[in-house]
Amino acid sequence: MNRYLARRLLLFLPTLFGTLTLVFFLIHLVPGDPVEVMLGETASGTDKETLRHELGLDLPLWTQYTRFLSGLALGDLGRSLYEQDSVSRLVRARFPATLELTLTAMLLALLIAFPLGIIAALKRHSWTDRLSLLFSLLGLSMPNFWLGPLLIIVFSIELGWLPVSGRGTLAHLILPSATLGMAMAAILIRMIRSALLDVLHEDYIQTARAKGLSEQKVWLKHALRNSLLSVVTIIGLQFGTLLAGSIITETIFTWPGLGRLTIQAIQTRDYPLVQGCILVIATSYLLVNLMTDIVYRLVDPRITYGK
Amino acid sequence: MANRFALFFGLAILLLLVATALLASTIAPHSPAEQNLEQDLLSTSKEHPLGTDKLGRDVLSRILYGARVSVLVGLSTVIISLLLGFVIGSVSGYFGGFLDQLLMRLVDVLMAFPGMLLAIAFTAVLGPGLHHVILALCLIGWTGYARLVRGEILALREKEFVHAAQALGGGPARVITLHMLPNLLPPLLIQSTFGMAGAIIAEGSLSFLGLGVQPPTPSWGSMLSEGRQFLLVAPHLTTYPGLAVMITVLGLNLVGDGLRDLLEKKGK
Amino acid sequence: MLKFRPRSFLIFCWLGIALPGCLSSSQPDRPPGYLVVGLESNPTHLDPRYATDANSIRIGALLFNSLTRTDQNGNLQPDLAERWETIDDRTYIFHLRKGVTFHNGKPLTAADVAYTYRSILDPKNRSPKRATLQFLESVDPVGPDRVRFRLAEPYAPFLESTNLGIVPDGSRTNDGSSRQSLIGTGPFALEEFLPGERIMLKANANYWGGSPAVSGLIFKIIPDAMVRVLEFKKRNVDFLQNDIEPDMLPWLRDKAQASIQIAQGTTFQYIGMNLEHPILKHREVREALAYGIDREAIIRHLLKGLAIPATGMLSPIHWAYESSVPKFSHDPERAKRLLDQAGFHDPDGEGPLPRFKLSYKTTNLDLRRRMAEALKQQLSEVGIELEVHTFEWGTFYADIKRGNFDLYSLSWVGITDPDIYFALFHSRNIPPNGDNRGHYRNPEVDQLLEQGRRSLGVDERRVIYSEVQKILARDLPYIPLWWAKNVVLTRQGIRGFIPYPDGDLISLKNVSLSFSNPEA
Repeated sequence: MNRYLARRLLLFLPTLFGTLTLVFFLIHLVPGDPVEVMLGETASGTDKETLRHELGLDLPLWTQYTRFLSGLALGDLGRSLYEQDSVSRLVRARFPATLELTLTAMLLALLIAFPLGIIAALKRHSWTDRLSLLFSLLGLSMPNFWLGPLLIIVFSIELGWLPVSGRGTLAHLILPSATLGMAMAAILIRMIRSALLDVLHEDYIQTARAKGLSEQKVWLKHALRNSLLSVVTIIGLQFGTLLAGSIITETIFTWPGLGRLTIQAIQTRDYPLVQGCILVIATSYLLVNLMTDIVYRLVDPRITYGK
Repeated sequence: MANRFALFFGLAILLLLVATALLASTIAPHSPAEQNLEQDLLSTSKEHPLGTDKLGRDVLSRILYGARVSVLVGLSTVIISLLLGFVIGSVSGYFGGFLDQLLMRLVDVLMAFPGMLLAIAFTAVLGPGLHHVILALCLIGWTGYARLVRGEILALREKEFVHAAQALGGGPARVITLHMLPNLLPPLLIQSTFGMAGAIIAEGSLSFLGLGVQPPTPSWGSMLSEGRQFLLVAPHLTTYPGLAVMITVLGLNLVGDGLRDLLEKKGK
Repeated sequence: MLKFRPRSFLIFCWLGIALPGCLSSSQPDRPPGYLVVGLESNPTHLDPRYATDANSIRIGALLFNSLTRTDQNGNLQPDLAERWETIDDRTYIFHLRKGVTFHNGKPLTAADVAYTYRSILDPKNRSPKRATLQFLESVDPVGPDRVRFRLAEPYAPFLESTNLGIVPDGSRTNDGSSRQSLIGTGPFALEEFLPGERIMLKANANYWGGSPAVSGLIFKIIPDAMVRVLEFKKRNVDFLQNDIEPDMLPWLRDKAQASIQIAQGTTFQYIGMNLEHPILKHREVREALAYGIDREAIIRHLLKGLAIPATGMLSPIHWAYESSVPKFSHDPERAKRLLDQAGFHDPDGEGPLPRFKLSYKTTNLDLRRRMAEALKQQLSEVGIELEVHTFEWGTFYADIKRGNFDLYSLSWVGITDPDIYFALFHSRNIPPNGDNRGHYRNPEVDQLLEQGRRSLGVDERRVIYSEVQKILARDLPYIPLWWAKNVVLTRQGIRGFIPYPDGDLISLKNVSLSFSNPEA
């Protein structure tokens, strides 16, 4: 286990490096010019050239890339072109909000999905099963940009229970995380149900039953544990979807997170800020997946990694 | 027998959907692009059974035509991503070692990357449009299947029946397709039904960002995103395309579940 | 039957996920007497030396005073300058108002004014406004309350550029930390700036023009139009200006008890064209486009009457506005005749084949998309096929600035001096050197525009620009669409707001509240 962990940690860096390289070249190759945005409508050609030179944007792309990497190695993400503040400070100010939103969404999804998925599998073709199917249908068919306003209209305007938008109290967190987590909950319900049904037919469950283990023990010890396998994989995958979804959810709920900052940085072609945002998003995605890989191993000791 | 019924019901929905997409031009009461600015945001009437949108276009006709785009985007995205993901995932899981690490790092790099940026980059370079939407969605989509397949194969690799097949001289391709695939199918089927729904929704999100199909081509996703601002004054603009997506997802789910049950029985 | 207790399982879930630890302290409630304004986008720089986006400029105007200020009729009025004198055609002296203090209590002096202008002109500070002040040779204090401006050459638009907010001598530049410590002389002082979230201003009790009636202002940034409206309905927002879906207005009036003020504005919407395009280089084609478009229908239905058809960039309230120019109303027959004349015949008459195709670029905003679709429909009726392409803003703007388009639509906000024609239509300013994006070239116009910025008399300039407007309406490098109206929504009990044609929010200093604060 320790050796495996060490290997995974070692591989973490090249992956991150690959992602950052991809971001760097993508954002620089996409049309758009940050200098135009910085200097405004009326700037003269020479002023633009001067600024481009000062920022090093006139250098060959390769030189800019090595500069970016050497800055990164020293822990320097550079300065935002448009916000005129250091990228690390801007990102640090926004990241907690996004983490809070995505983790709560994930938690909410798990809290909804496990009971519903288990009950659906236990009482197959019952009305609870159908209900859970209906719920996951809703979750899958409603894009964030539609579900969000609908939830606001129902819970904030009509019922008056929750605030419309913004960040602050626990109540502010409920609607955005429900919006963001709904699709994940929907997928998890179906996954859990299906995994449980698969496992129930396996021989060892039948054996366990035959051995006279109580039904509850069979479930908890064997069935759930094995169904967790596929769920754990899905959680890792879905975390990326949550991070991407936060871009739209944060815009709708006026959530001051990294997603909105990323969009803004992309629109103004604020290269260092885009790179900083992606660095943080990618790192947290990779960390969560590292964690799910470890959990995966814990849940299924049969897997051996490497020879 | 209840499952059988569900499977057929699901298949009926999907068939109906494909038929709608193919026959849109004959069954739609109006042209999907025909505008009438005077007749905007009308609710249900004889002339317009599902009302009209902000430009006075017939919502029913747009939904019928929208089926084309949504089916095309959903199906092609899932098929391409699934094939790519299956090949790469199974190679990675079966052979393991350095190749596995390399492929999974590639998957990680792509997955750690917000799809939105990739989509912007794509449409900026190639221009927005249907084909580029599909291309962008596949580029993001295959990685999920690859990881799923790899994870399952990793577990299957240690099973006795696989060892037995290998001992009998089965090559990788044979073992994977003949012995492992049946076990892979249930999770893959479910993932694909979600993937298809996801692709239909993702096309809407791209439309929401202005990168989806180009106006005036209707798609369910873009109808949802366009109708959003009228939620309070003309909810029918989002309700009906939303229902269309839901029915499609229902059909996909029923078929997915039904097929899973069928395969399960066969497998035993 | 099977019994299942999910509890142990739930605990596992909780442990498996890191608990969201960082729930910040609850948002402070709105302090008594504060007015909440909803904004659609984040103002990036309130410092007047860096502010370029509309919201930054509008909020900046509440924090800072400038030497002069444009009133609601578009006329220049004294602000920090009591009066000014023209010594010769290159020298101006401004006399500062006495008894003005900054928010930190320091009195305003000529040194502050000189510092503000000089720090923009210093290339080190990378101010986006440097280019607009290039004509300045020097800015010097003459005693404590007089400032002398020396121009490199006579330059009529100079007076317009004195609407720049004045910062205290020695204010830091280019630094994120200065964001929290902006000091001005305006009716409000900065209390808190949370980028992307909100900006709090508190009333300046010592304001030289009299303390504002409200205790303070909170600008909440709410990017989504739907959510802005819902926050208004919830009474978490008291005031909204523009960017409201026109079809929502009846609902807002009836269901959210909004008072709605509608006033004509100066924001100018147009279609820009690439004049080097093989088809668009024909004047007849551009004219046919202008006749083929049914502005009235778009205004009536898509905009719900919140605009009036435009004849040119300068709106009727502008001092240089010329009304006797060719006007284009919807006339498809005439458009078809013009296209035939230009040699672009319809291959199959009334059939589906177009005369030619043009690409039309636009941004991804809902209203812009719908506008594009309506234009496509209207032009198809005269045999022109528009291929609509919507882009994300960054890509769109880059293409437009580089002149990479057939047709596009954008608007100009806050036009003041007619010298804007120089930036947009002088042949010297063809990209990459400037904003003549459609590559318009007309030596006659070039000459008039050079003359216009050198001539100092208003009457003289009026004659020049009237000629420019007539020529442009004939040559049609832009197709004028409409001048937008400003829409202001306020909660019942808010009194005294006067909408400005350019959307200026300065009148918020006169607003009074008569409602008690809402339930928390």
